[in-house]
Amino acid sequence: MGSPGVQQSAGTSRRKFFRWCVNGVAAAIGTALAIPLGGFYILPALRKPKVIWKEVGPVSEFTEGEMRLVPLKPLERREWPESWGKEAAWVLNQGKGKFAVFNIHCTHVGCPVSWSSQANRFFSPCHGGVFDPDGRVLSGPPPRPLDRYEVKIENEFVYAGPVYRVNDRLERVSA
Amino acid sequence: MKLLQQIVAFLEDRLALPTIWARFTDRQIPKGVGWLQTFGSATLFLLIVQVVTGIFLAFYYVPSPEHAYESVRLITDDLNFGWLIRGIHRWSASLVVVFAVLHLLRTFFMGAYKYPRELTWVVGVLLLLVIFAFAFTGYLLPWDQRAYWATTVGTHIAGFAPGIGDFLIEILRGQPDIGARTLGRFYAFHTLFLPLILFLLLGIHLFIVIKQGIAPLPDRKLVPATREEYRQYYRQAKQEGKPFYESMAKDALVALFLLIVLIALSVVLGAPLEEEADPTSTTYVPKPEWYFLFLYELLWWFPGKWIPVATFWIPLALIFVLIGLPWLDSSVHRHPLRRPVVTVAAVTLVGFLGLLTYKGTVAPLPPTAVAAQRAQAEKIALSPLALQGLEVYGRGGCSACHAINGVGGVAGPDLGKIGRKRSADWLRRFIQDPVSVNPQSSMPAYKELSQEELEALVSYLGLLK
Repeated sequence: MGSPGVQQSAGTSRRKFFRWCVNGVAAAIGTALAIPLGGFYILPALRKPKVIWKEVGPVSEFTEGEMRLVPLKPLERREWPESWGKEAAWVLNQGKGKFAVFNIHCTHVGCPVSWSSQANRFFSPCHGGVFDPDGRVLSGPPPRPLDRYEVKIENEFVYAGPVYRVNDRLERVSA
Repeated sequence: MKLLQQIVAFLEDRLALPTIWARFTDRQIPKGVGWLQTFGSATLFLLIVQVVTGIFLAFYYVPSPEHAYESVRLITDDLNFGWLIRGIHRWSASLVVVFAVLHLLRTFFMGAYKYPRELTWVVGVLLLLVIFAFAFTGYLLPWDQRAYWATTVGTHIAGFAPGIGDFLIEILRGQPDIGARTLGRFYAFHTLFLPLILFLLLGIHLFIVIKQGIAPLPDRKLVPATREEYRQYYRQAKQEGKPFYESMAKDALVALFLLIVLIALSVVLGAPLEEEADPTSTTYVPKPEWYFLFLYELLWWFPGKWIPVATFWIPLALIFVLIGLPWLDSSVHRHPLRRPVVTVAAVTLVGFLGLLTYKGTVAPLPPTAVAAQRAQAEKIALSPLALQGLEVYGRGGCSACHAINGVGGVAGPDLGKIGRKRSADWLRRFIQDPVSVNPQSSMPAYKELSQEELEALVSYLGLLK
């Protein structure tokens, strides 16, 4: 008959062993599920959407200095699930063949900005953000100028591409 | 009757159900438990209402951008009782926030988050966060303008989280903008994932409520200093109390009353559904639901590089303070007057949040929102002359100083009821030369208006009653 201490420690180590087994198997099952499930949830969201250029309109349709809200027509049909939703942008013919195409979302919390031709300003309806015709912040809380679309002009026709951010000097800072 | 007895006996033998139920309803609860303690059960009732009506809404709702709006319209306008089910779901969503917060305040002021109920409090705070998550995800599902723009703003705000903002936006939306994947995610969270978390946390919350018993009223003079003293104090309070089934009657009455309120709200106000979501609209003025208004108002205070303070740090601090409260206030005193610092801090905070919410509710929209108002007004049948007047109103910049129905500036008086107060002749004279009518007026004279423009403007203003 061994001492109770020995028996107990033998029991404890046996108990420990089985606890480790159960915990180990549980961890393996958890990991095996978590990796594909997490990847399934997160990775598709991080995919960069295929760049599709959009028609803005013929250069001749835009009077110099006039800001217009223009629906953007994608050059190729977007596939489901990206197929839903129309898109519009503020377009300004800056003269000398240059165009600025602005995202309609205020850079503060994303409310849609409207253009007032009398005031020559963009206004956001939510927290009083005001932008000038170049998209620079004139007053209110927005942290940066209005985001812009890449622009290209081919055969006297204006196209808009991906949206990018600019800093206070209107230099491109990110895609 | 005999059959019923047999069934009860069977359940007793196999499941011990009658015994468990009797233990549940007959347990003693401390003296002083009254109507204020029904806030918790009211919250529970509203959550059950949400789950039940939500399940039934899911029979007809289609979570895809192509069909979501139409399916909600079908539910609201066409299906039998659809307006009622959706109305109850919509109003219960608001009431559940009201009662969860009342329940939290009651618990706070009675010191019921202290030993041995710290964990009940923590789980309760987590439940409140789950309720907010339900509110945020459910808001998108009708896929109307309000839904689309509130989610645009809500997810945009997540982008200010330091370091992980852009990542967070994409994870939340499932794509760069808001579309099919966003709706799918929000639907799955709202109807599958969150209810699971809700049941889990509710189970823990209610289990501790029964295990530790309902908190007694705090006594100003009798302050148990140790845990053992507290246990004794509680046993005493329970002995002087009454069985639970007596207060259950109160809970049941409150639940019935709430259901009547929900039905009344659905009948009188219904569940609103705006135009279908339109990402190209530049005249829509997004405004969050009232329970998120305090955060939205806070944004006025932190411009530019300070935005994350309002969108990230303050909400995070609030959550941590709430969760950590039992340890931040670990004194033995439970009566609110015996822990004045904590009480004053809490009253100040609640008052401040209330004030922000109130400000957000009544604040006139900025003058720039007037374009949206115009779009709205054009849908009401205005005469051609009055419509022309509305144009003059916009061109003249009237909205920079005046509000109509809460839309516009605050420098001048609100013109919402001007047509009732002033005659056309008075308006005509005043607009052309305000000082001649009222020497105190600071409004600039609009002499340059043509006769036609003036008549149009007066015609429009005359309709504002």
